[in-house]
Amino acid sequence: MSRSWVRRRPVSSLLLVLLAALLAWVWHERLALRAFPDILGAYSAKEYCSCRYVMHNPAEYCLGYVRQYLSLSQFADEPEQRRVTASGLGRSHSAAWLGKREGCRLAP
Amino acid sequence: MFNGSTLLLTVLLLVTLPVRAEHWPGEQWSQGPAASGPALDALEAYAFVPRDDTTRAGIRTDALLVIRDGQLIYERYAGPTTADTPHLTWSVTKSLLAVMLGVAYGQGRFQLQDKVATFYPPLQQHPQISMADLLHWASGLDWQEDYEYAPLNSSVVAMLYTRGHQDMAAFTAGHAAFSAPGQAFRYSSGDSNLLSAALKNMLGTPAYADYPWSALFDPLGIRQAVWETDAAGTFVGSSYAYLRARDLARIGLLMQRDGRWGERQLLPKAWVDFCRTPFSGYQANQDEAVPGAHWWLNRAVQGAAQPWPDAPADTFAALGHWGQALYIVPSEKLVIVRYADDRDGSYRHNELLKRALLAFGRQGRP
Repeated sequence: MSRSWVRRRPVSSLLLVLLAALLAWVWHERLALRAFPDILGAYSAKEYCSCRYVMHNPAEYCLGYVRQYLSLSQFADEPEQRRVTASGLGRSHSAAWLGKREGCRLAP
Repeated sequence: MFNGSTLLLTVLLLVTLPVRAEHWPGEQWSQGPAASGPALDALEAYAFVPRDDTTRAGIRTDALLVIRDGQLIYERYAGPTTADTPHLTWSVTKSLLAVMLGVAYGQGRFQLQDKVATFYPPLQQHPQISMADLLHWASGLDWQEDYEYAPLNSSVVAMLYTRGHQDMAAFTAGHAAFSAPGQAFRYSSGDSNLLSAALKNMLGTPAYADYPWSALFDPLGIRQAVWETDAAGTFVGSSYAYLRARDLARIGLLMQRDGRWGERQLLPKAWVDFCRTPFSGYQANQDEAVPGAHWWLNRAVQGAAQPWPDAPADTFAALGHWGQALYIVPSEKLVIVRYADDRDGSYRHNELLKRALLAFGRQGRP
């Protein structure tokens, strides 16, 4: 990229610099970005499970309790197994009640 | 006449008098005189606003309970929470962890200056971090505690829900350092979970799995407590203990009375003093209160005002996300438990303490 090219195409040059910065940031944050879509489903499954089966709050209340700005695409509460599955942003996570002292835990 | 039976009676009286002068809960709390009047109305007007579960705006108290001198004098619940709800305490758990560690300290299982890596080998990359450093949230690890506003970079969100949830202590140990240990305060749920993992290796796995109950809950008469673990079996010492409000108040009374429960010194008094000593590396206004050892203090440091100006300087607290709090005011013999679901940050500790002290403190007493 010569100086004259930059002078002739200032907008494209700026966009290229921004793109490079964006790619560098994506690389730098690759671990966090890969994990990011998991937060919604994992948070919802774990905290709903504890709300419902540890704190013994009503199901309807617990749904409101875990509600976020982004909504879930799927949600399933299986009372017999005390297992909760929540999906959002293309990822799905489950949490299950383990015992009276242990409460709930997110599945691996 | 000074015969054998009078002597026995006198001795018995001398032995039982100091015990009788003090109230302790048995299976239930004994009730003290109930408060009423405009000061109580003002407290309730602040704490119990009509709830809107759609917007979740404003102050949303789930439970408010007050113990004065070992007796229950006020209790009210709202929303779905009742006296029987083991409520999530969030980061109040950290102070519970410190109480449990105090029992272990009293048993001689560690010293404050012991290096954590001797108990928890995955921390060998940071060999200089001591137990005291973790208790002060001063590991020097580059941890980001932000919960909701920066979820991408939040270490705590990654620890609880994504990259760290299977082994939270190991996830924490994998962080780089930003400062030498013991120098700088940076509030970190990771530091708390390193403490929890260190305790596991001090005790061995089977004893550790029972320890919150054998060391703490059973002696205090707490019959209904939940403490969730990660997949490595480490208690989530940062976030996941659940107690009924009446039971969290027992922890408060234990701390108010310097670690003593009835006749038994459950925690060394020196441990309680350590928890209540401001950390010297804390810079004024770094956080909403002054950190001691895994407890929050209402102390004026470095010329800054007390964090809660309307409460006595000896007030200390365990504080958690969304408004969970256990306040202890030893000079007023008060223990206050508050559970909540505050989502917008409008709740103020100072305002609640101010109104509670007017309703239940010495100045407000009939």
